[in-house]
Amino acid sequence: MDKLLEILQDINPDIDYTTCEDLIDGHRLESLSIISLIAELEDAFDITIPAAEIIPANFNSAKAMMAMIERLQED
Amino acid sequence: MHWLAYQLLHGELPQLSSFTNFHFVVYAIPCFILLYVLMPKKLKRYYLLIASYAFCFLINGAMVIYLLVSTVSMFGFGLLLDKLQTQMKDALAVTEKEQRKAVKKKFVIKQRVVILFAILLHIGTLVVLKYTGFFVTNINRAITMSGGTNLLTVPHFLIPIGISFFSLQALSYILDVYRGITKADRNILRLALFLAFFPQVIEGPISRYNQTADQLWNSPQVNTQSFTFGVQRIIFGMIKKIVIADRLNSFVALIFNDYAMLDGGTIALGAILYTIQLYMDFSGIMDIGLGISEIVGIKLPENFERPFFSKTISEFWKRWHITLGTWFRDYIFYPVSTSTSMKKLTSSARKKLGNHYGPLIAGSIALFSVWICNGLWHGADWNFIFFGMYHFVLILLGNILVPLVRLVNKKLNINPENFFYKLMQILRTCLLVVIGELFFRANGLMNGFHMFGRIFTDFSFSSLTSDLLVRGGIDYLDFIIAGITLIGIFAVSVLNEKKISVRELQTKPVKGALVLQWSVIFILAIFLLVFGAYGVGYAEVYPMYAEF
Repeated sequence: MDKLLEILQDINPDIDYTTCEDLIDGHRLESLSIISLIAELEDAFDITIPAAEIIPANFNSAKAMMAMIERLQED
Repeated sequence: MHWLAYQLLHGELPQLSSFTNFHFVVYAIPCFILLYVLMPKKLKRYYLLIASYAFCFLINGAMVIYLLVSTVSMFGFGLLLDKLQTQMKDALAVTEKEQRKAVKKKFVIKQRVVILFAILLHIGTLVVLKYTGFFVTNINRAITMSGGTNLLTVPHFLIPIGISFFSLQALSYILDVYRGITKADRNILRLALFLAFFPQVIEGPISRYNQTADQLWNSPQVNTQSFTFGVQRIIFGMIKKIVIADRLNSFVALIFNDYAMLDGGTIALGAILYTIQLYMDFSGIMDIGLGISEIVGIKLPENFERPFFSKTISEFWKRWHITLGTWFRDYIFYPVSTSTSMKKLTSSARKKLGNHYGPLIAGSIALFSVWICNGLWHGADWNFIFFGMYHFVLILLGNILVPLVRLVNKKLNINPENFFYKLMQILRTCLLVVIGELFFRANGLMNGFHMFGRIFTDFSFSSLTSDLLVRGGIDYLDFIIAGITLIGIFAVSVLNEKKISVRELQTKPVKGALVLQWSVIFILAIFLLVFGAYGVGYAEVYPMYAEF
């Protein structure tokens, strides 16, 4: 989780990722940030994020992102 | 039903042209709802399917054939994908971890071949029907310019109404099956209903299988509240379409056709009126479609969220024709911007250019793909391609300038949350949208440039005479009626923008809520009947977006 929070802080340091649960629905992370985030997550966690996973539910909070990462690591 | 019986007895096929067609409103909708209510629960789904196909047939017989081909082919492609996915799972279960990637890759390639055929069939049909004429015309232009005389014959295909909409909906189904978002449907009738449901088949909204297929197949009972809200929304939509959009139609057409004889001020007025007409027409038809669906308990996705309150062009496109925007986002923007090569580009660019400009390169390439597709989707002509590129450039510029705007605001101590700052942003966005719509509506790209140029070189209203209004089939009273109606719609939008739902307000009274709601319906219906632009002096106007 710490590694994920570090990546998120690097992309946009103005958000409290430990509490925010509407990163996408609240328009806090825009599409450019998502593009960065996906590239960084794939590098950092050695996963491939398919387009089907790029949905608000998977990116609305750090917790949801971590769940997606763990699921993709198991695949 | 005597209208239907009369025409069948006289050997004529009845024809519908839109949701606001007199016959549709007076006969078809009430009959459809009455039969739906009376229909046993188990038969409702089949009734919805038959009613949808009957509607498509009455609108355009050819549409039924295209819908059938699309449904049968997508059903087959879906089952094929399902089979491949099951085979892949079985194979992966007995494969060592190190070899799994290779096995998975083999099956993914097979699935991609299926997807390729599905795309070729649907997009290929669209390309042939919509763009062959455009390509041949441009080839002929090139031949003429190079001195040749052997010109090719320009084909004119009959394009079925709604094909641009249901093709995207069908593609979203098969792509979602491929991505594992939805399971392949093993019931062809359920898939057929999802693709043909009549309130959305002409102009959208472009639904996803997960959003509506099960709802439609479960065909809920009609309840008093959804019936009341649905009727209200239908009438609200008809007011937008018939009182405002149709009233402006002839005058707008006159300005765009005869612009060469008009001054810049009148042309600018024409562009503003066209933007209003398009919004009222498209969102009005959406209200009618969503209203009919709501009556039978089906919730379709919204296509508009008060777009003229947007502060940027990017935001505008998140609030205008939402289901088309999300289609392009999910099936073009993210797949392009997060493809392997783009991800590598983003990672290396971020290190050199930082968090904002790093992902902008991949984002711009994806954005360009989206907007070239968006322009072409609207039609085969240079002005539509220009329309797409115009918005691409505006959104790109908006992204490039974000850090600079933030810096300037900080230096000048400007609060972006200030009301007047936001108002200026909204007005700027509206102006940019109107300019885009001028090119969108112009009869060809060069005419669009001439019209735009005239606004700056000959700005006056001297050609806006009584004679012009008469020729445009409009008078001052029409402007007053359209203006007052617009103010009413604007007031509702302001409340909705402030998260105050007008329909929820009507349910507040503990006693008499239903009486209040039906009183509103009665008043709106009277308003529509008195001030609607129909009957003598007005031609029925086909839904504008159905042509795309």
